[in-house]
Amino acid sequence: MSVVELDLILEGAPRKISVETRDGDLVVREGLHVLETAVRRISENELRLRFGGRSVRVHLVRSGERIYVSVDGREFVVSESPPETGRRGQGDEKNAETSLRVRSPMPGKVTKIAVVEGEGVRKNQTLVIVEAMKMENEIKTAIDGVVTKIHVAVGDLVDSQKPLIEVEKT
Amino acid sequence: MFGKILIANRGEIAVRVIKACREMGIGSVAVFSEADAASLHVRMADEAVPIGPPPAAESYLNMERILEAARATGAEAIHPGYGFLAENAAFARLCEERGVVFIGPNSTALELVGDKVRARQTMEKAGIPTVPGMTSVSTSLEEFRAAARALGYPVMVKASAGGGGKGMRTVCDETGLAPALEAGMREAKSAFGDDSVYLEKYIEEPRHVEFQILADNRGHTVHLFERECSIQRRHQKIVEETPSPALDPELRVRMGETAVRAVRAAGYNNAGTVEFLLDKDRRFYFLEVNARLQVEHPVTELTTGVDLVRQQILIASGADLSFRQEDLLQRGHAIECRIYAEDPKTNFLPSAGRIVLLREPRGPGVRFDSGVYEGFEVPVFYDPILAKLIVWAEDREAACRRMAAALDECVILGIHTTVGFLKDVVGHPEFRAGRATTSFIGKFFPSWGTGAGEEDRERLALAAVAYEALTLTAGPTGLPGRSRRKDVATPWTVLGRWRAGSRT
Repeated sequence: MSVVELDLILEGAPRKISVETRDGDLVVREGLHVLETAVRRISENELRLRFGGRSVRVHLVRSGERIYVSVDGREFVVSESPPETGRRGQGDEKNAETSLRVRSPMPGKVTKIAVVEGEGVRKNQTLVIVEAMKMENEIKTAIDGVVTKIHVAVGDLVDSQKPLIEVEKT
Repeated sequence: MFGKILIANRGEIAVRVIKACREMGIGSVAVFSEADAASLHVRMADEAVPIGPPPAAESYLNMERILEAARATGAEAIHPGYGFLAENAAFARLCEERGVVFIGPNSTALELVGDKVRARQTMEKAGIPTVPGMTSVSTSLEEFRAAARALGYPVMVKASAGGGGKGMRTVCDETGLAPALEAGMREAKSAFGDDSVYLEKYIEEPRHVEFQILADNRGHTVHLFERECSIQRRHQKIVEETPSPALDPELRVRMGETAVRAVRAAGYNNAGTVEFLLDKDRRFYFLEVNARLQVEHPVTELTTGVDLVRQQILIASGADLSFRQEDLLQRGHAIECRIYAEDPKTNFLPSAGRIVLLREPRGPGVRFDSGVYEGFEVPVFYDPILAKLIVWAEDREAACRRMAAALDECVILGIHTTVGFLKDVVGHPEFRAGRATTSFIGKFFPSWGTGAGEEDRERLALAAVAYEALTLTAGPTGLPGRSRRKDVATPWTVLGRWRAGSRT
């Protein structure tokens, strides 16, 4: 039986695993860690995994490039590692030590901008307030610095990961 | 009885009211914003009327559009659900003027109890104990400062028109006062269209115990016992139960009688809830009257056998209560868990998006009040409640076990939800022991999702994905093209065929 190797991303973290079947059981290796489990398919989207003497219900579904998995009521997002050539997006946060691009952590509406361009800010100072589902969420800076650019205005609807503000370290 | 009722709300509560209408042989009219055209309440109602753009202020809070929808469809009554216009006295009065029955308290009582400051004054006059606080709202920082000093920190900023924790802030010292007031006012303005706030003494580690009441239009008033709502995050309840582990029969009778006195003092009718804080020494303080059907009403329904929405509709149509206080009994134990579209791993940030898989729990004593379906796109504009899971069992221990099992069966994928978090809450020894206070979440769950077993769960998730990869390449289906195996499969070829709900 051949070994299948998978480069996956679980909750944003790369996970390299190899997997094979042995006597009907599934053997998953990650580094030195070995997990052996008996798998029973219940339905299209449900598996039952035998683990630690327990039967664990696992649901999973693919939507676009993401695979959503629920294990014991915990949800995980799994996706495949992007091809090596396509590693864009990392450049955004280059020079993370000297500058910071503050992004919206969720979709919502900008209800307040608490700083102006050129203003000095301290770590954990609130920069922007984004309201989503009727809750105010204070978006703070993780570094001391100066606001170099504000990308949004009060009233703007923003998507998750939309750049809000640039802060340059002083 | 009414021939047709318009439901001025959305989500699970609109669905709940539509179901009551169906049972009673009453036609239902849904209203919806542009963001809700595909929502469950729209699909379930007999008729549905669009009322404007996504922001609530332009749709679900737009009184004229809603009244026009009632007129156009011939609805004789409006059920406001909770939130939005449910406790808006101006809307209740407008309904009265237009000859549409508002299914809720009369506008005078609503105005009185909706103004928390006036409500406190009324209760104090009626001899009902209240939490020490400002007796009037203010806009002057100086007045707030003086009041806070007089009360002694910590104090609590509360929205006069408040509810659901909106506009509420705890302030530990004077430097925190001005930002808390500013944030509270802004949030109150956005949630209720009214930015008045006031201060109250912050009672440390209290329990939150509330009493359900029903009052018909002729003044017959009963209480339907208590609900314990101490498990809160951001001052918003997430787990409720009845009976409260903190009450004994004597205290229950005393608080119940006080609740009935409170709504009588306010000239209140229809369904309502009197909220109390219960401190460590079993002293209780009137907090407020929630002049609406509560999110957590099902636990009362399951233990008393009374359908509260049906009673609301009956009372609004002019019927007398068909039972008296002595007819009401609490039987067994009920717990509700609120399932929110929020990520408990990131301090409950809202999580909008499409629900790609939904498995609803079922079974004896299990009720699932839901406003969503598989494939539904949860919009960003509204309260993130998706559904409520309610269980009933003979006693508290059995109810806790039933809830844990039902949460296990509840699967919602595609967005983050509070399901896994709730499971840990109801499994926590402090909760099991019935000792939880309002500081429970902050104290025992300062962060979540990194605890014991998480690594195993992660590996099991990876194993499940790997199993899919294997069975899709070497699976028994033997479909053409699938048998072409490479020695080392790339994830793209392995997983690429696999799509939500079906395999190609």
